[in-house]
Amino acid sequence: MTGRRRTRAAVAVAVLVACAAPTGCAALPAMPAPVPTSVVPSRDPAAAPTSSGNLSPDGFDAAQRMAVRIRNIGCGSLSTGSGFAIDANTLVTNRHVVEDSATLQLSTYDGRDVAATAASTAGLADLAIVRTADPLPAAPELADADPVTGDAVTVVGYPLGQRLTITTGTVLGATTDPLNVNLGEVLVTDAPVEPGSSGSAALDADGRVIGVVYAKDEQGYSFVVPVSTLRSMLDDESAFTAAPTCS
Amino acid sequence: MLVLVLGTLLTVRLVTTTRAWERTAADWEDLARTHGTQLAQAQTDLEAAHAELADTQTQLATAQQRITELADEKARLGDTTASQQQLADYQARVSQAAGQVATALANCIDGQERLIGYLRESDRYDAADLERFATDVDRVCGAATDANASLQRELDR
Repeated sequence: MTGRRRTRAAVAVAVLVACAAPTGCAALPAMPAPVPTSVVPSRDPAAAPTSSGNLSPDGFDAAQRMAVRIRNIGCGSLSTGSGFAIDANTLVTNRHVVEDSATLQLSTYDGRDVAATAASTAGLADLAIVRTADPLPAAPELADADPVTGDAVTVVGYPLGQRLTITTGTVLGATTDPLNVNLGEVLVTDAPVEPGSSGSAALDADGRVIGVVYAKDEQGYSFVVPVSTLRSMLDDESAFTAAPTCS
Repeated sequence: MLVLVLGTLLTVRLVTTTRAWERTAADWEDLARTHGTQLAQAQTDLEAAHAELADTQTQLATAQQRITELADEKARLGDTTASQQQLADYQARVSQAAGQVATALANCIDGQERLIGYLRESDRYDAADLERFATDVDRVCGAATDANASLQRELDR
Protein backbone atom coordinates (compact mmCIF):
# COMPACT_ATOMS: atom_id res chain seq x y z
CA MET A 1 0.00 0.00 0.00
CA THR A 2 2.79 2.42 0.86
CA GLY A 3 4.64 1.54 -2.34
CA ARG A 4 1.60 2.31 -4.46
CA ARG A 5 1.21 5.76 -2.81
CA ARG A 6 4.86 6.51 -3.48
CA THR A 7 4.46 5.59 -7.11
CA ARG A 8 1.44 7.91 -7.56
CA ALA A 9 3.27 10.79 -5.87
CA ALA A 10 6.25 10.24 -8.14
CA VAL A 11 4.03 10.36 -11.24
CA ALA A 12 2.29 13.53 -10.00
CA VAL A 13 5.61 15.20 -9.37
CA ALA A 14 6.85 14.26 -12.81
CA VAL A 15 3.73 15.68 -14.46
CA LEU A 16 3.79 18.90 -12.45
CA VAL A 17 7.48 19.46 -13.07
CA ALA A 18 7.01 18.90 -16.78
CA CYS A 19 4.06 21.30 -16.93
CA ALA A 20 5.85 23.95 -14.84
CA ALA A 21 8.83 23.93 -17.19
CA PRO A 22 9.11 26.92 -19.64
CA THR A 23 8.09 24.83 -22.60
CA GLY A 24 5.04 23.60 -20.70
CA CYS A 25 3.08 20.51 -21.38
CA ALA A 26 0.61 20.12 -24.19
CA ALA A 27 -2.36 20.62 -21.89
CA LEU A 28 -1.29 24.12 -20.85
CA PRO A 29 -1.24 27.22 -23.13
CA ALA A 30 2.17 27.98 -24.58
CA MET A 31 3.95 31.28 -24.08
CA PRO A 32 3.13 33.78 -26.86
CA ALA A 33 5.54 34.42 -29.68
CA PRO A 34 7.19 37.85 -29.72
CA VAL A 35 5.18 40.56 -31.52
CA PRO A 36 6.87 41.71 -34.74
CA THR A 37 7.55 45.41 -35.28
CA SER A 38 5.66 45.38 -38.58
CA VAL A 39 3.36 43.02 -40.40
CA VAL A 40 3.50 44.88 -43.72
CA PRO A 41 4.70 42.37 -46.29
CA SER A 42 7.87 43.28 -48.09
CA ARG A 43 7.49 43.91 -51.82
CA ASP A 44 9.83 44.28 -54.73
CA PRO A 45 10.35 47.83 -55.99
CA ALA A 46 8.32 48.66 -59.09
CA ALA A 47 10.31 48.14 -62.23
CA ALA A 48 11.13 51.34 -64.07
CA PRO A 49 9.49 51.45 -67.51
CA THR A 50 11.97 50.72 -70.25
CA SER A 51 9.96 52.54 -72.92
CA SER A 52 6.95 54.78 -73.25
CA GLY A 53 5.10 52.15 -75.30
CA ASN A 54 2.15 53.73 -77.05
CA LEU A 55 2.02 56.66 -74.67
CA SER A 56 2.39 60.05 -76.26
CA PRO A 57 4.96 62.45 -74.83
CA ASP A 58 2.47 65.29 -74.86
CA GLY A 59 -0.90 63.60 -74.45
CA PHE A 60 -1.92 63.87 -78.10
CA ASP A 61 -2.75 60.52 -79.59
CA ALA A 62 -0.89 59.05 -82.53
CA ALA A 63 -3.72 59.84 -84.95
CA GLN A 64 -3.33 63.55 -84.25
CA ARG A 65 0.45 63.51 -84.14
CA MET A 66 0.79 62.01 -87.61
CA ALA A 67 -1.50 64.57 -89.30
CA VAL A 68 0.05 67.31 -91.42
CA ARG A 69 -1.57 70.46 -92.79
CA ILE A 70 -0.50 71.38 -96.31
CA ARG A 71 -0.63 74.89 -97.78
CA ASN A 72 -0.28 74.96 -101.55
CA ILE A 73 0.82 78.41 -102.70
CA GLY A 74 0.32 78.46 -106.44
CA CYS A 75 0.77 81.15 -109.04
CA GLY A 76 -2.09 83.38 -108.06
CA SER A 77 -3.89 80.68 -106.09
CA LEU A 78 -3.87 79.40 -102.51
CA SER A 79 -5.34 76.14 -101.22
CA THR A 80 -5.01 73.87 -98.22
CA GLY A 81 -5.14 70.12 -97.76
CA SER A 82 -4.23 67.36 -95.35
CA GLY A 83 -1.65 64.61 -95.23
CA PHE A 84 -0.15 62.10 -92.87
CA ALA A 85 3.31 60.77 -92.15
CA ILE A 86 4.31 57.28 -93.21
CA ASP A 87 7.85 57.60 -91.88
CA ALA A 88 10.05 60.20 -90.26
CA ASN A 89 10.54 62.28 -93.39
CA THR A 90 7.76 61.23 -95.77
CA LEU A 91 4.10 62.05 -95.86
CA VAL A 92 1.25 60.92 -98.08
CA THR A 93 -1.46 63.17 -99.45
CA ASN A 94 -3.48 63.59 -102.64
CA ARG A 95 -2.08 64.53 -106.00
CA HIS A 96 -4.56 67.38 -106.36
CA VAL A 97 -3.41 68.81 -103.04
CA VAL A 98 0.18 69.38 -104.13
CA GLU A 99 0.07 69.83 -107.90
CA ASP A 100 0.45 73.21 -109.60
CA SER A 101 2.21 74.74 -106.64
CA ALA A 102 4.99 77.28 -106.45
CA THR A 103 5.59 76.51 -102.78
CA LEU A 104 4.37 73.85 -100.35
CA GLN A 105 4.21 74.75 -96.68
CA LEU A 106 3.64 72.08 -94.03
CA SER A 107 2.67 72.34 -90.38
CA THR A 108 2.09 69.72 -87.70
CA TYR A 109 -0.70 69.20 -85.15
CA ASP A 110 1.09 71.48 -82.67
CA GLY A 111 1.73 74.28 -85.15
CA ARG A 112 5.34 73.50 -85.96
CA ASP A 113 6.42 74.35 -89.50
CA VAL A 114 8.11 71.56 -91.43
CA ALA A 115 10.05 72.31 -94.60
CA ALA A 116 9.11 70.32 -97.70
CA THR A 117 12.02 69.28 -99.88
CA ALA A 118 10.28 67.51 -102.77
CA ALA A 119 6.86 66.40 -103.92
CA SER A 120 5.98 63.63 -106.33
CA THR A 121 2.62 62.49 -107.64
CA ALA A 122 1.21 59.17 -108.78
CA GLY A 123 -0.09 58.89 -112.31
CA LEU A 124 -2.65 56.17 -111.67
CA ALA A 125 -4.17 57.38 -108.40
CA ASP A 126 -4.91 60.62 -106.61
CA LEU A 127 -1.88 60.13 -104.39
CA ALA A 128 1.27 62.10 -103.75
CA ILE A 129 4.36 61.85 -101.60
CA VAL A 130 6.09 64.81 -99.98
CA ARG A 131 9.56 64.56 -98.49
CA THR A 132 10.40 66.74 -95.52
CA ALA A 133 13.65 68.19 -94.25
CA ASP A 134 12.62 67.92 -90.61
CA PRO A 135 11.37 64.77 -88.89
CA LEU A 136 7.62 64.33 -88.54
CA PRO A 137 6.21 63.64 -85.04
CA ALA A 138 4.72 60.19 -85.61
CA ALA A 139 3.90 57.73 -88.36
CA PRO A 140 1.09 55.17 -88.32
CA GLU A 141 1.14 51.62 -89.52
CA LEU A 142 -0.46 50.71 -92.82
CA ALA A 143 -3.17 48.05 -92.60
CA ASP A 144 -2.41 44.75 -94.28
CA ALA A 145 -5.68 44.62 -96.22
CA ASP A 146 -8.55 46.84 -97.31
CA PRO A 147 -11.48 47.15 -94.90
CA VAL A 148 -14.79 45.44 -95.53
CA THR A 149 -18.27 46.89 -95.52
CA GLY A 150 -19.36 47.83 -92.02
CA ASP A 151 -15.88 48.41 -90.64
CA ALA A 152 -15.42 51.50 -88.51
CA VAL A 153 -13.37 54.31 -90.03
CA THR A 154 -11.81 57.40 -88.47
CA VAL A 155 -10.68 60.36 -90.54
CA VAL A 156 -8.06 62.79 -89.21
CA GLY A 157 -7.43 66.00 -91.10
CA TYR A 158 -7.94 69.71 -91.55
CA PRO A 159 -11.40 70.25 -93.11
CA LEU A 160 -11.72 73.67 -94.74
CA GLY A 161 -8.15 74.36 -93.66
CA GLN A 162 -9.37 74.77 -90.12
CA ARG A 163 -8.29 73.07 -86.91
CA LEU A 164 -7.29 69.43 -86.74
CA THR A 165 -10.49 67.39 -86.62
CA ILE A 166 -11.34 63.74 -86.09
CA THR A 167 -14.54 62.34 -87.62
CA THR A 168 -15.85 58.80 -87.58
CA GLY A 169 -18.07 56.65 -89.75
CA THR A 170 -18.30 53.25 -91.35
CA VAL A 171 -17.22 51.76 -94.63
CA LEU A 172 -20.26 51.54 -96.91
CA GLY A 173 -18.60 49.53 -99.66
CA ALA A 174 -16.41 49.81 -102.73
CA THR A 175 -17.18 51.43 -106.06
CA THR A 176 -15.55 52.60 -109.23
CA ASP A 177 -14.01 56.03 -108.94
CA PRO A 178 -16.69 58.65 -109.73
CA LEU A 179 -13.97 61.14 -110.61
CA ASN A 180 -12.02 58.72 -112.79
CA VAL A 181 -8.71 59.72 -111.25
CA ASN A 182 -7.93 56.38 -109.65
CA LEU A 183 -7.25 53.02 -111.18
CA GLY A 184 -9.39 50.30 -109.63
CA GLU A 185 -12.07 50.60 -107.00
CA VAL A 186 -12.25 53.13 -104.21
CA LEU A 187 -13.95 52.93 -100.82
CA VAL A 188 -17.12 54.81 -99.89
CA THR A 189 -17.64 55.84 -96.26
CA ASP A 190 -20.08 58.02 -94.35
CA ALA A 191 -17.34 59.71 -92.32
CA PRO A 192 -17.91 63.46 -92.78
CA VAL A 193 -15.21 65.29 -94.73
CA GLU A 194 -14.92 68.73 -96.29
CA PRO A 195 -12.71 70.44 -98.85
CA GLY A 196 -9.34 70.58 -97.13
CA SER A 197 -9.78 67.05 -95.83
CA SER A 198 -8.25 65.73 -99.03
CA GLY A 199 -5.18 63.69 -98.14
CA SER A 200 -6.47 62.81 -94.68
CA ALA A 201 -5.68 59.37 -93.34
CA ALA A 202 -8.61 56.98 -92.94
CA LEU A 203 -7.88 54.73 -89.96
CA ASP A 204 -9.35 51.49 -88.70
CA ALA A 205 -10.26 50.72 -85.09
CA ASP A 206 -6.64 49.85 -84.33
CA GLY A 207 -5.31 53.14 -85.68
CA ARG A 208 -3.88 51.61 -88.85
CA VAL A 209 -4.22 53.39 -92.18
CA ILE A 210 -6.88 51.82 -94.40
CA GLY A 211 -6.91 54.53 -97.05
CA VAL A 212 -6.54 58.15 -98.09
CA VAL A 213 -9.53 60.49 -98.36
CA TYR A 214 -9.67 62.25 -101.72
CA ALA A 215 -13.26 63.36 -102.45
CA LYS A 216 -16.86 63.67 -101.27
CA ASP A 217 -20.20 63.77 -103.06
CA GLU A 218 -23.43 65.71 -102.71
CA GLN A 219 -24.87 63.12 -100.31
CA GLY A 220 -21.99 63.70 -97.92
CA TYR A 221 -20.30 60.38 -98.59
CA SER A 222 -16.54 60.42 -98.62
CA PHE A 223 -14.33 58.55 -101.07
CA VAL A 224 -11.12 56.89 -100.03
CA VAL A 225 -8.19 55.50 -102.00
CA PRO A 226 -7.81 52.04 -100.40
CA VAL A 227 -4.62 51.04 -98.64
CA SER A 228 -4.02 48.26 -101.17
CA THR A 229 -3.68 50.89 -103.89
CA LEU A 230 -1.47 52.99 -101.64
CA ARG A 231 0.74 49.99 -100.90
CA SER A 232 1.08 49.03 -104.56
CA MET A 233 2.02 52.61 -105.45
CA LEU A 234 4.56 52.84 -102.65
CA ASP A 235 6.09 49.52 -103.69
CA ASP A 236 6.54 50.75 -107.26
CA GLU A 237 9.16 53.51 -107.35
CA SER A 238 8.24 54.38 -110.92
CA ALA A 239 4.65 55.10 -109.89
CA PHE A 240 5.59 58.56 -108.65
CA THR A 241 7.06 61.39 -110.69
CA ALA A 242 7.98 64.94 -109.73
CA ALA A 243 4.87 66.97 -108.98
CA PRO A 244 3.97 69.54 -111.64
CA THR A 245 4.53 73.11 -110.51
CA CYS A 246 3.03 76.33 -111.76
CA SER A 247 6.24 78.30 -112.10
CA MET B 1 2.86 18.69 1.01
CA LEU B 2 4.65 17.94 -2.23
CA VAL B 3 1.39 18.16 -4.13
CA LEU B 4 0.80 21.61 -2.65
CA VAL B 5 4.18 22.85 -3.75
CA LEU B 6 3.69 21.48 -7.20
CA GLY B 7 0.20 23.03 -7.38
CA THR B 8 1.67 26.38 -6.49
CA LEU B 9 4.28 26.03 -9.19
CA LEU B 10 1.56 25.23 -11.69
CA THR B 11 -0.44 28.27 -10.62
CA VAL B 12 2.61 30.50 -11.00
CA ARG B 13 3.20 29.05 -14.44
CA LEU B 14 -0.40 29.76 -15.50
CA VAL B 15 -0.31 33.32 -14.17
CA THR B 16 3.00 33.99 -15.96
CA THR B 17 1.61 32.65 -19.20
CA THR B 18 -1.56 34.71 -18.90
CA ARG B 19 0.37 37.93 -18.29
CA ALA B 20 2.65 37.19 -21.23
CA TRP B 21 -0.42 36.77 -23.44
CA GLU B 22 -1.88 40.02 -22.09
CA ARG B 23 1.32 41.90 -22.98
CA THR B 24 1.36 40.31 -26.40
CA ALA B 25 -2.28 41.24 -27.01
CA ALA B 26 -1.52 44.81 -26.05
CA ASP B 27 1.48 44.91 -28.38
CA TRP B 28 -0.61 43.52 -31.21
CA GLU B 29 -3.25 46.17 -30.58
CA ASP B 30 -0.58 48.89 -30.68
CA LEU B 31 0.75 47.46 -33.92
CA ALA B 32 -2.76 47.29 -35.38
CA ARG B 33 -3.44 50.90 -34.41
CA THR B 34 -0.13 51.99 -35.92
CA HIS B 35 -0.92 50.28 -39.20
CA GLY B 36 -4.47 51.59 -39.05
CA THR B 37 -3.12 55.12 -38.74
CA GLN B 38 -0.72 54.50 -41.61
CA LEU B 39 -3.56 53.06 -43.72
CA ALA B 40 -5.74 56.07 -43.04
CA GLN B 41 -2.87 58.38 -44.03
CA ALA B 42 -2.24 56.33 -47.17
CA GLN B 43 -5.91 56.53 -48.09
CA THR B 44 -5.87 60.29 -47.55
CA ASP B 45 -2.74 60.58 -49.70
CA LEU B 46 -4.34 58.40 -52.37
CA GLU B 47 -7.44 60.56 -52.46
CA ALA B 48 -5.27 63.66 -52.72
CA ALA B 49 -3.27 62.03 -55.51
CA HIS B 50 -6.50 61.11 -57.33
CA ALA B 51 -7.71 64.69 -57.04
CA GLU B 52 -4.36 65.99 -58.25
CA LEU B 53 -4.41 63.55 -61.16
CA ALA B 54 -7.91 64.69 -62.12
CA ASP B 55 -6.74 68.33 -62.02
CA THR B 56 -3.69 67.46 -64.10
CA GLN B 57 -5.82 65.63 -66.65
CA THR B 58 -8.11 68.64 -66.89
CA GLN B 59 -5.12 70.92 -67.32
CA LEU B 60 -3.68 68.60 -69.97
CA ALA B 61 -6.97 68.59 -71.88
CA THR B 62 -7.11 72.38 -71.69
CA ALA B 63 -3.49 72.67 -72.79
CA GLN B 64 -4.08 70.30 -75.71
CA GLN B 65 -7.14 72.26 -76.78
CA ARG B 66 -5.18 75.49 -76.56
CA ILE B 67 -2.28 74.02 -78.54
CA THR B 68 -4.72 72.94 -81.25
CA GLU B 69 -6.31 76.41 -81.26
CA LEU B 70 -2.93 78.13 -81.45
CA ALA B 71 -1.81 75.81 -84.26
CA ASP B 72 -5.02 76.67 -86.11
CA GLU B 73 -4.54 80.40 -85.53
CA LYS B 74 -0.96 80.21 -86.71
CA ALA B 75 -1.96 78.23 -89.81
CA ARG B 76 -4.68 80.70 -90.71
CA LEU B 77 -2.31 83.58 -90.13
CA GLY B 78 0.06 81.85 -92.54
CA ASP B 79 -2.78 81.54 -95.05
CA THR B 80 -3.56 85.23 -94.69
CA THR B 81 0.09 86.17 -95.01
CA ALA B 82 0.50 84.03 -98.12
CA SER B 83 -2.69 85.47 -99.57
CA GLN B 84 -1.56 89.03 -98.84
CA GLN B 85 1.84 88.30 -100.32
CA GLN B 86 0.16 87.08 -103.48
CA LEU B 87 -1.95 90.24 -103.54
CA ALA B 88 1.14 92.37 -103.00
CA ASP B 89 2.94 90.53 -105.79
CA TYR B 90 -0.07 91.04 -108.04
CA GLN B 91 -0.23 94.72 -107.24
CA ALA B 92 3.49 95.06 -107.85
CA ARG B 93 3.11 93.39 -111.25
CA VAL B 94 0.15 95.65 -112.11
CA SER B 95 2.02 98.73 -110.96
CA GLN B 96 5.06 97.73 -112.97
CA ALA B 97 2.93 97.06 -116.03
CA ALA B 98 1.10 100.36 -115.59
CA GLY B 99 4.41 102.18 -115.27
CA GLN B 100 5.64 100.56 -118.46
CA VAL B 101 2.41 101.60 -120.21
CA ALA B 102 2.79 105.18 -118.99
CA THR B 103 6.44 105.36 -120.07
CA ALA B 104 5.72 103.83 -123.46
CA LEU B 105 2.75 106.14 -124.00
CA ALA B 106 4.82 109.17 -123.05
CA ASN B 107 7.50 108.10 -125.54
CA CYS B 108 4.81 107.51 -128.16
CA ILE B 109 3.19 110.89 -127.61
CA ASP B 110 6.56 112.64 -127.61
CA GLY B 111 7.53 110.93 -130.86
CA GLN B 112 4.20 111.74 -132.47
CA GLU B 113 4.44 115.41 -131.43
CA ARG B 114 7.90 115.63 -132.87
CA LEU B 115 6.76 113.90 -136.05
CA ILE B 116 3.89 116.36 -136.37
CA GLY B 117 6.37 119.22 -136.04
CA TYR B 118 8.63 117.71 -138.67
CA LEU B 119 5.73 117.17 -141.04
CA ARG B 120 4.62 120.81 -140.69
CA GLU B 121 8.02 121.77 -142.04
CA SER B 122 8.49 118.78 -144.24
CA ASP B 123 10.16 120.76 -146.98
CA ARG B 124 13.11 121.33 -144.62
CA TYR B 125 13.72 117.58 -144.09
CA ASP B 126 14.66 114.69 -146.24
CA ALA B 127 11.62 112.56 -147.08
CA ALA B 128 13.50 109.34 -146.37
CA ASP B 129 14.53 110.60 -142.93
CA LEU B 130 10.91 111.53 -142.17
CA GLU B 131 9.75 108.10 -143.27
CA ARG B 132 12.36 106.45 -141.03
CA PHE B 133 11.38 108.63 -138.09
CA ALA B 134 7.70 107.85 -138.62
CA THR B 135 8.56 104.12 -138.56
CA ASP B 136 10.42 104.60 -135.30
CA VAL B 137 7.44 106.41 -133.81
CA ASP B 138 5.16 103.56 -134.91
CA ARG B 139 7.49 101.08 -133.18
CA VAL B 140 7.49 103.11 -129.96
CA CYS B 141 3.71 103.40 -130.04
CA GLY B 142 3.47 99.67 -130.76
CA ALA B 143 5.51 99.03 -127.62
CA ALA B 144 2.99 101.13 -125.72
CA THR B 145 0.19 99.01 -127.15
CA ASP B 146 2.01 95.83 -126.09
CA ALA B 147 2.59 97.20 -122.60
CA ASN B 148 -1.08 98.05 -122.32
CA ALA B 149 -2.04 94.53 -123.44
CA SER B 150 0.28 93.13 -120.76
CA LEU B 151 -1.37 95.36 -118.17
CA GLN B 152 -4.81 94.19 -119.24
CA ARG B 153 -3.69 90.54 -118.89
CA GLU B 154 -2.48 91.21 -115.34
CA LEU B 155 -5.75 92.91 -114.51
CA ASP B 156 -7.70 89.93 -115.82
CA ARG B 157 -5.82 87.44 -113.55
